[in-house]
Amino acid sequence: MERPRVVREDGALDGDVVRAVLAGDVDRYAELVQRYRDKYARYAARMLGSLDAADDAVQDAFIRAYEQLAQCRDPANFAGWFFLILRNRCFAERRSSGRLGKRTSLESDPVAAPDDAGRRLEDEELRQRLQRELMELTPEQREVFVLKHIEELSYEEIAARIGGSVAALKMRMHRAYDRLRERLTREEART
Amino acid sequence: MKTLALVSILAFAGTPLAAQQGVDAQLAGRVAPDVAAAVRTLADSAMRAGLPSDPLVQKAIEGAAKGVPAPQIIAALETVLGRLDQAAAAIRAAGVAQPDAETVVAGAFAASAGMPASAVTALARVQTAKTPAAALLRIAGTLAAIGVPSPQAVSLVVAAARSGGDVTAVLDLPARVESAVARGVTPVQAAEGLARAAAHGGLPQSPGGGRGNSGSHRP
Amino acid sequence: MSEMHSLVKRLLDGELGLAELPVELRAEGEWALRLLAAADRRDVRLGAGLDARVMAAVRRAAPEPSSAWRWIVRPFELRLAIRPWAALAAAAVLILLVVARPFGRGVPSASRAAVPESVVVRFVLYAPSAHAVSVAGSFNQWDRGATPLVPAGHSGLWAATVTLAPGQHQYAFVVDGRQWVVDPGAPAVDDGFGRRNSLITVGAPAGDKSL
Repeated sequence: MERPRVVREDGALDGDVVRAVLAGDVDRYAELVQRYRDKYARYAARMLGSLDAADDAVQDAFIRAYEQLAQCRDPANFAGWFFLILRNRCFAERRSSGRLGKRTSLESDPVAAPDDAGRRLEDEELRQRLQRELMELTPEQREVFVLKHIEELSYEEIAARIGGSVAALKMRMHRAYDRLRERLTREEART
Repeated sequence: MKTLALVSILAFAGTPLAAQQGVDAQLAGRVAPDVAAAVRTLADSAMRAGLPSDPLVQKAIEGAAKGVPAPQIIAALETVLGRLDQAAAAIRAAGVAQPDAETVVAGAFAASAGMPASAVTALARVQTAKTPAAALLRIAGTLAAIGVPSPQAVSLVVAAARSGGDVTAVLDLPARVESAVARGVTPVQAAEGLARAAAHGGLPQSPGGGRGNSGSHRP
Repeated sequence: MSEMHSLVKRLLDGELGLAELPVELRAEGEWALRLLAAADRRDVRLGAGLDARVMAAVRRAAPEPSSAWRWIVRPFELRLAIRPWAALAAAAVLILLVVARPFGRGVPSASRAAVPESVVVRFVLYAPSAHAVSVAGSFNQWDRGATPLVPAGHSGLWAATVTLAPGQHQYAFVVDGRQWVVDPGAPAVDDGFGRRNSLITVGAPAGDKSL
């Protein structure tokens, strides 16, 4: 993944903000929180299956990133480093309550700005079914699916972000395709 | 009882730009341009590594005031930065995830007094809420400067910190060692004697009359 | 057969177009593409309450400004006995008294820091042959002209009274404007330039007593 040079009209480079926080200006950490609060929220929501869980995970990740800020080797790439902390936090969910296996209905989740009242009911059902089945994948399989088909990264970009070879990622994805196909065709056969 | 009002000796500016301006302001007229440039470069490295940069500024000013040639000043600055980096690493090795600037500078001071990184780690590990790492490192470094060898200095500081009292037990150590030395023992003998006393239930009433009741000055 | 055909997988990976699939796989391909299209790509916005919660936790974790000198929490005196250094040729004898008397708020306060109670310190040097003596250190930017010592009669002693903030300071005496002399009665540390600096540790003022 290329290192984003995040420049905002109103603010400083990420690297400068990180350095300022490390130098003692703790209040400026809020700039990073505001910048990245929503950037990886969709990833967290799709990985964890609910908005509440995503909120918790992103909050925890920001706090942990602050605690470990001195270990951020490349402050200019705070975004990438923060993503890895969030990722670890998402993966850690499975070690606790087993929430990841739960079938979570996202229907009542005010997940996003409402976009399309005209979406067909069929597609809405399919969307929910797909999300449910994603939660039945292993976290690693779900992650590659989310990064490729929801975050719309290429395999190369995914490899740059989370490590591993493109070939290994493809294998993981293809196993995910198999499992999705298996579960969804079985479900279709039942209906 | 007066409230202790304490100030940080390391004045951090709010942003890197302001920090650089602060550095330039402190150096202006005091150091040669090539030294100032070196300070800016090294201060930038320090800040990127999360290390305090003020010790670099102060060392440059000291060198210039002492008439030290620029190459030697710059070499000393690199030594300072190396010590800060090593101190931060040694403190992290003690399990402190994010060492604060004061502790890092105290660790670098201990190193400048000749203490090895392992001593810095050992002292940082022992720290408690009552006896913060910065105090332990400063006092251990001071003991080393008095002539107590590093292992005995660490043992003595650790024993005093664990003796259950507050940080005054640690802060008193250099004066106690110097009193003992004035009475004729060597620094290492003084340190070992005090460490034994601390391990066996506390240090004796501290020397140096005129201080008043040692218990009444606690803030 | 529950496994997805490998060509359909490549279709999903974006390596093939639907038209490139064999006819018998087109239906499966279309189904798979519809599935992908159903993935929820809607933006997710978390509430701004998260910012507040994070900053509350972060501020709790941040070190307090006043903790910088936490390691000095009570006054103590540094009294050095007069050392028998007079026998040495270029000897200097230092009698250093730390007067634990609150001096006042002479130091401007930083925005997040509290004002220190400074402590009065008396530096003394025995240098009977000197024409000028000063003390330079971390407390006066090592300026050899900032703190001159004054001869005390004809004793050969030179003295100056200085106000220092609590903490640890490094210093040396400067004799005749050019000779840097370390204090033989004080601990010394390497100055990084091949010389040594003397060390003085100053405690915070006493609550009540003065010397």
